[in-house]
Amino acid sequence: MFNWQLHPLTGLNFLGMIISGVIVLLVTLLVVMYTIYFERKVIGWMQLRIGPNRVGPLGLLQSAADVLKLLIKEDIVPAKSDKVLFLVAPVIAFVPSFAVLAVIPFTATHLFTAGLNVGVLYYIALSSITILGIVMGGWASNNKYSLIGGMRSAAQMISYEIPLGMSILGVIMISGSLNLNVIVAHQADHMWNIIPQIIGFVVFIIAGIAELNRTPFDLPEAESELVAGYFTEYTGFRFAFFMLSEYVYVFAISSLATTLFLGGWSGPFLPSWLWFAIKVSACIFFLFWVRATMPRIRGDQLMGFAWKVLIPLALFNIVLTGALSLVA
Amino acid sequence: MLFGIPITGETVSFFLLALIIIVSGVMLLTLDKVMHMALALGGVFLGVAGIFILLGSDFLGMVQILIYAGAITILMVFALMLTQKGDDTSSPPTSGVRAIFTLLGVVVFAVTVLLVIRSTSWPVNRPAVEPFAKPTVTLIANAMFHTYTVPFELVSLILTAALVGAVVIAKKED
Repeated sequence: MFNWQLHPLTGLNFLGMIISGVIVLLVTLLVVMYTIYFERKVIGWMQLRIGPNRVGPLGLLQSAADVLKLLIKEDIVPAKSDKVLFLVAPVIAFVPSFAVLAVIPFTATHLFTAGLNVGVLYYIALSSITILGIVMGGWASNNKYSLIGGMRSAAQMISYEIPLGMSILGVIMISGSLNLNVIVAHQADHMWNIIPQIIGFVVFIIAGIAELNRTPFDLPEAESELVAGYFTEYTGFRFAFFMLSEYVYVFAISSLATTLFLGGWSGPFLPSWLWFAIKVSACIFFLFWVRATMPRIRGDQLMGFAWKVLIPLALFNIVLTGALSLVA
Repeated sequence: MLFGIPITGETVSFFLLALIIIVSGVMLLTLDKVMHMALALGGVFLGVAGIFILLGSDFLGMVQILIYAGAITILMVFALMLTQKGDDTSSPPTSGVRAIFTLLGVVVFAVTVLLVIRSTSWPVNRPAVEPFAKPTVTLIANAMFHTYTVPFELVSLILTAALVGAVVIAKKED
């Protein structure tokens, strides 16, 4: 098979990269559409409801109808808002969420994967820029709910980024590389990282859900106290952009968890992309499961949990991994 | 070839990044609202990270994005949101005399820099810089944890002390 990572950059290869980027974008949009559909269906079943079942067979076209509705809605910009920032904030929030997918190894052939030597760091670094978009959007709306939502999300996402990064360190120590392709190849040769890195995996999943601003960590958009949080004033396709970046991150963090801990594309019998899809679906299902089960936690508990529980646990995991690798 | 510069992927990306840095820098100086300036500063940081990556030090570029474009910018925005009240666009009116002196200063500075650049003998036809022998992550790790372990530990000790000191000072003011 053709492999981007072994070829020099020529005009034709550049064109190929752009085409594969567009393909990844389209696949991601499709995944996001059906992620939203399955979220509503799964949570519906868990709460003994039916979920969407009107538009198309089994309600399969519900998300498409919702997206169409959002796109043709009026684009309202509040009169007292900071116009430029208000318009540019959804873009700042969305672009990194899609850009992080560049380093995810979807298949064994690396058809759409950048072989970056600092792949893990690239993911963490770019995903931190989304916070800027969220805070800017909350501030530019000139609305107290938006402002409080934006501030909460900034505090929460910065705090949980630290345990998230630390939980990955154990995996990096085992694999000896920051390159996601090497990490997956190492797991294919040895065993899935979830077994020696179970503490790291638990910390990663908790911090990951907090990074996504999802229940039980959805304080930035807690509807019972903040209306809708940082996107209270957003309508139409700008609102759709915020939602889109949130769900692209659901896909991205599930892909990252699969790549780092669940062996990525490696697995017997089935083709590599199918294994990847199965594992990512399991991760996404877990996120929905947590959302349907857990109540929202309080703001003061949130910060204490990150700094007093998760970070010491992640540090302990690093020390343990180092000690075990010295012994073995 | 364009103005004696070969058109390759590297030169194109260098000039694009330079354009981003300069435009963001000018915006940082000229924009009215502090919040917009913070965003422009983020653009400068991103452009500098791109230059680092272009020079082959991908680790440094990523850390630049993580620390500066991510954390520092958000920290600034956060501080501004908590301290700024209402409209902050009022800038003092500039007088004619001041404008003339500013123009004079800029012209003198530009002429000086131009003369210095013209009188410097630049090395020409140097052989191309060798790429790094190993991945930069390996090189940095070797430098930090083998060659300079003691200075590295001392620096981390100083940073921890600064962190604890900041907490102590903040607690005292309560």
